Amino acid sequence: MLDVPALVSALEILSSSWSAWVWVIPGLLIGLFFGAMPGISITMAMAICLPMTLYMEFLPAIIFLTSIYTGAGFGGAVPAVLINIPGTTAAVATTFDGYPMARKGMHNEALGAGLSASVIGVLLSYILLFLTIVPMAEIVLKMGPLEMLVVAIWGMMLLGSLTGDSMARGLLAGTFGVLLGTIGMNTAGFIRGTMGIPWLLDGISVVPAMMGLLAASQLFMLVNTPYLIENEAARQISLLRIMSGVRMSLRYPVVMLRGSVIGIVIGAVPGVGASIANLLAYAEAKRTSPDPETFGKGNVKGVVASESANSSAEGGSMATLFALGIPGGSATAIMLAAFAMHNVVGGPQFISDQRHVVYAILFSELAQSILLFPVGIAFCMAAAYIVRVPMRLLVPAVLVVATFGSYAVDGNVSGPITLFVFSIIGWAMVRYEYPVAATVVGLLLGRLLENNAINTYQISGGDPAYILERPAAVAVLVLMALSFGATAWAQHKGRTRQRAGQVQG
Amino acid sequence: MTERHARTPAQPLAGAVEIDWGQLLLLAFIGGWILVFLLDARSTSLSVHNLLLVEPAAIIGLLLCVAVLPQCFRRRAVSVATEEALAKRRRERAELANIALLAAAFGAFVSTLETVGFDVGCWLFTAVAIYICGERRWWVNLSFTTVLTLVLIYGYRAMIPFPFPLTVL
Repeated sequence: MLDVPALVSALEILSSSWSAWVWVIPGLLIGLFFGAMPGISITMAMAICLPMTLYMEFLPAIIFLTSIYTGAGFGGAVPAVLINIPGTTAAVATTFDGYPMARKGMHNEALGAGLSASVIGVLLSYILLFLTIVPMAEIVLKMGPLEMLVVAIWGMMLLGSLTGDSMARGLLAGTFGVLLGTIGMNTAGFIRGTMGIPWLLDGISVVPAMMGLLAASQLFMLVNTPYLIENEAARQISLLRIMSGVRMSLRYPVVMLRGSVIGIVIGAVPGVGASIANLLAYAEAKRTSPDPETFGKGNVKGVVASESANSSAEGGSMATLFALGIPGGSATAIMLAAFAMHNVVGGPQFISDQRHVVYAILFSELAQSILLFPVGIAFCMAAAYIVRVPMRLLVPAVLVVATFGSYAVDGNVSGPITLFVFSIIGWAMVRYEYPVAATVVGLLLGRLLENNAINTYQISGGDPAYILERPAAVAVLVLMALSFGATAWAQHKGRTRQRAGQVQG
Repeated sequence: MTERHARTPAQPLAGAVEIDWGQLLLLAFIGGWILVFLLDARSTSLSVHNLLLVEPAAIIGLLLCVAVLPQCFRRRAVSVATEEALAKRRRERAELANIALLAAAFGAFVSTLETVGFDVGCWLFTAVAIYICGERRWWVNLSFTTVLTLVLIYGYRAMIPFPFPLTVL
């Protein structure tokens, strides 16, 4: 699996050239900052920095861009925890438990747990990438629309765990989200639900809608609250407590490992990526947990699952980029542009001819993920001061930042208007106890579900037996069914035991 | 402890069915939108490629609306309005009015952004919103508003590739 001479050559390149290292910390800081700014995507950060790489050699250029990618992977978690705005779509699930932890005065612990899960997630993904880059890429190539549809259905299972006290309200919120996600022109060219508004042709812009549903709605609820954390003593920013969060996350190696594996696999699938991986990992963590009722109320396992998955998705999408020359998402598309700027073409030829360069990049990625830990802690300590700002200043400031961020997505007023409309809908849903998170998940998955359902229908000609020709999809469906069956059985046994205990007691 | 027991004219009889108007309105909005969306999709085309996901999802959504509907009605518990309960209700109404004011200001801000410019709009909205949220020290309000506007305008202008419509800066 490993080419030892290429490994030695990679180490030689890295140890002899300072230029490969000098860009790592600036890249991480840029990534953390941009990732933490609502509306500024990882892609935008990398696109802004792309011209700078023209004047660098190939290896430092790619290392600089991957550092931004790594930093932004965690950066999105910081506002998700502190103000319930996921800095990127990949941090949606981090808000589910990160923000409740912050409201309870456990913001230091939530940030520490998120950071350590991110660092370990990136490390695991690159170690795995190191060992399996070629076979993994071949598997990814076999993923068709049916397999993607199965992945989207798997994501929909999350709705079941986000329903809150009323199953009917939760499912209605999720269905509402799915339908909102299908507004606009679908892949078959049919236009629905646009109300004649031209910018709805491409569908509802997810980032402003998500900011409105999750954040602005919460901000309206906090208008009459003096501070984000009501207890003054709990507002401290403490390195010790951040480290305690790190230790908390290490108590759940299975959650972290499962999140990382989900992140790597989903991240490697072109067009899916970290936005879905964090939701799936969260759903799996909740489903398999002995205390699922504590999720959504500040359970650290929710933060660990989400952050390990969204960070490890980076390794997965880099695998597809290196092995096939296909960008798994928009961030790796920028990386592909950097490849082209240096006359390098990704794919099997690149791996066989330039294996030492690939290994050098992977070594550097491992170093970046380790460096992310101290840099991330410093960043968290600075960002956590937000809990000391009175809400009478913080609420207007965050609303304005969200407005600027929503404008930055498309460069027109459609973003701010979407933000406003969804903040009102979100506020009403929160007030009447509908889980807005289910609507966000539906919104994220709606288009993916419809596109892949249509593509599968077109390929199969509507023949249900087509599924039998796709062993990968059957395998995933069977695994899902077995896994859900086992959980239901375990829960049934647990309830029976509990009832028996009550009768005896 | 002296507690004045009173029944306001607006208070419904104990044990009567109470309608949660807010929730009913929200449910009507969601259900109404789903129905309009389904009819719009069907009027576009009855092709499977158009309705494959939309039609079943919309029907499920409408059935769920029917399932949630009874939750908008509940039997009022037997209770007597105390001075404390009335004060709580007044406080809740005042808080709701604050939220409505902030939402209205936010709506005005986003809908006039391109007309008044991001600089003027941001400055005005922040100042008004800070006042609504309870900051009464004018110098804190104006200095925070000015610094925030400058940082956001220059910061975002440096970071994003789109031009912001501006009036002053």
